[in-house]
Amino acid sequence: METTENKKTEVALDWTPELEELRYRREVAEGLGGPESIAYQHSKGKLTARERIDLLFDKDSFRELGKIAGKGKYNKDGDLESFTPSNSITGTGRIDGRKLIVTSDDFTIRAGSSESAVSEKWVYAERMAHEMEMPLIRLVDTAGGSVKDLERLQGTKIPGYPMWSNISLLGRVPVVGVALGACAGLGAVKVGLSHFSVMVKDMSQVFAAGPPVVKQGLNQDVTKEELGGSYVHTRLSGVVNNEAVDEADAFRQVRQFLSYMPRNVWEVPERKITDDDPWRVDQELNSIIPKNRRKIYKPRKILETVFDKGSLFEIARYFGGSTITCLARLNGYTVGVMASDPIVMGGAMTLQSARKMERFVDLCDTFHIPIINLVDQPGVMTGLEAESNGTMAAAMRAIAAIEQAQTPWCSIIVRRAFGVGGGAHGPKQGPEGRSLNHRFAWPSARWGSVPIEGGVAAAYKREIAESANPDARREELEGYYHKLASPFRTAEKFGIVDIIEPCETRAVLCDWVEDAYELTTRQVGLRCRTMR
Amino acid sequence: MALIQVKAEISGSVWKIETKAGQQVMEEDVLLIMESMKMEIPIMAPAAGVVKEIKVKEGDTIAEGDLAVVLEE
Repeated sequence: METTENKKTEVALDWTPELEELRYRREVAEGLGGPESIAYQHSKGKLTARERIDLLFDKDSFRELGKIAGKGKYNKDGDLESFTPSNSITGTGRIDGRKLIVTSDDFTIRAGSSESAVSEKWVYAERMAHEMEMPLIRLVDTAGGSVKDLERLQGTKIPGYPMWSNISLLGRVPVVGVALGACAGLGAVKVGLSHFSVMVKDMSQVFAAGPPVVKQGLNQDVTKEELGGSYVHTRLSGVVNNEAVDEADAFRQVRQFLSYMPRNVWEVPERKITDDDPWRVDQELNSIIPKNRRKIYKPRKILETVFDKGSLFEIARYFGGSTITCLARLNGYTVGVMASDPIVMGGAMTLQSARKMERFVDLCDTFHIPIINLVDQPGVMTGLEAESNGTMAAAMRAIAAIEQAQTPWCSIIVRRAFGVGGGAHGPKQGPEGRSLNHRFAWPSARWGSVPIEGGVAAAYKREIAESANPDARREELEGYYHKLASPFRTAEKFGIVDIIEPCETRAVLCDWVEDAYELTTRQVGLRCRTMR
Repeated sequence: MALIQVKAEISGSVWKIETKAGQQVMEEDVLLIMESMKMEIPIMAPAAGVVKEIKVKEGDTIAEGDLAVVLEE
């Protein structure tokens, strides 16, 4: 028989209204900015913030955090009337089974602007990556700040988020920035302040401020694409590493990039099983470098042959193209690869390629990824333009990054190593003073402080001019010096560990990388670099 | 039909022109060869198209960014 006391207890234990409210709030959050806004987003060929997460992560692995953060409207009795979710979706998920954290901007609510973000939420996600030492992905699609923030705050604030440990994060866990719309101001920072960034062609733009601000401030009429499209940033500025043809391609690149990375700097990258024979010999390599020093070759062919089949992942292909930077694998071990590309600027160290090199070496060193440098370096770029644009300053920073790299390093000199740029092929001593500068060369290698052709013309200027046949005399002298410059003569003095057949390169490197990982496994942790 | 401006990526002299106006080219075909950094550095077609105009001649000294060839896509 029911007593009054029992009934009271039942009512007190009935959580139905609260559970219903929770379900309602969650449902609203699932619905983003509503069907109309979602249809608009789709009409622009763009996925929604939630569809992006589904596409990026392993199936059903997303676990949302802060789903019901947002803005509630209440009636005079204090009951909820309506709810607008935050336009910053955060949570954890898995890629190839490994956990990471994501923030995904929802453009369908106030164009992803900070006004509706509840900024504590995305800052929390970044801090969680920091504390839990797990990789972070930012899917950025935000118009940035909004003047309506002033109304919301009933005042202004000095820009910045004091609890956002962005720079510290870069020394600890892999951070990826993906531009999926117009990313202005802070949005641009979220994309570029990362270890790997990618933007979708014709869909995303990155800039300090968009066209309306540029028009106001500088009276320049520019389109979003002209100002900060993928052409600008992946080819000219280097602000963003890679270009993707569509969102699916961008996420494929993100997944691939992360497959080479450890969870954090206290771990080393996972070794992947490969069926590619580490001792594979490809005779084709022995004839890939033309004997005529004026003729060039395609270095990507060398990379495809030397490293595990299908393992190359190029970063910043179109920026500073005289140096190629890739992540790759050797017998399943992750390695960082640099290679000169003689097709672009003759392979010289340019302003752009020096900046690219600096970043790449820092990336590999931060995550203890051994570096392999395939060297064909004619030197630091010269000429009026290069001197005035600060190429030397950038080169010095690249040289410093190389010298500060503690990660194991092996260079293969395939052709030229001249001047300051050529000398900077690997750390001479390294931060602990024990780097070997381990290096091998192909028989096609030539090196020196000064290239022979220009060097002979300078040192024998009068003798050549006074000769009966100046050209013949110059060629004779050049021939003499080229013989002296044979790499075998350097090898006699152990100026290089060995001259190898090009087809032996894979085997030499696969043998080395095993020892490199023995070392790097004990070198994990934070890197501390001095001024550069 | 979009026009593509193919510019020199490096300063140097035009050593050899490998194409002529009206010629159909494929992506990565060599249009001309520059002589720079003591090497023969090709300027390649960024996309397939027809050569509309060659703006330089052999022996010309050109600077980085100078227009070399106009292609019609």
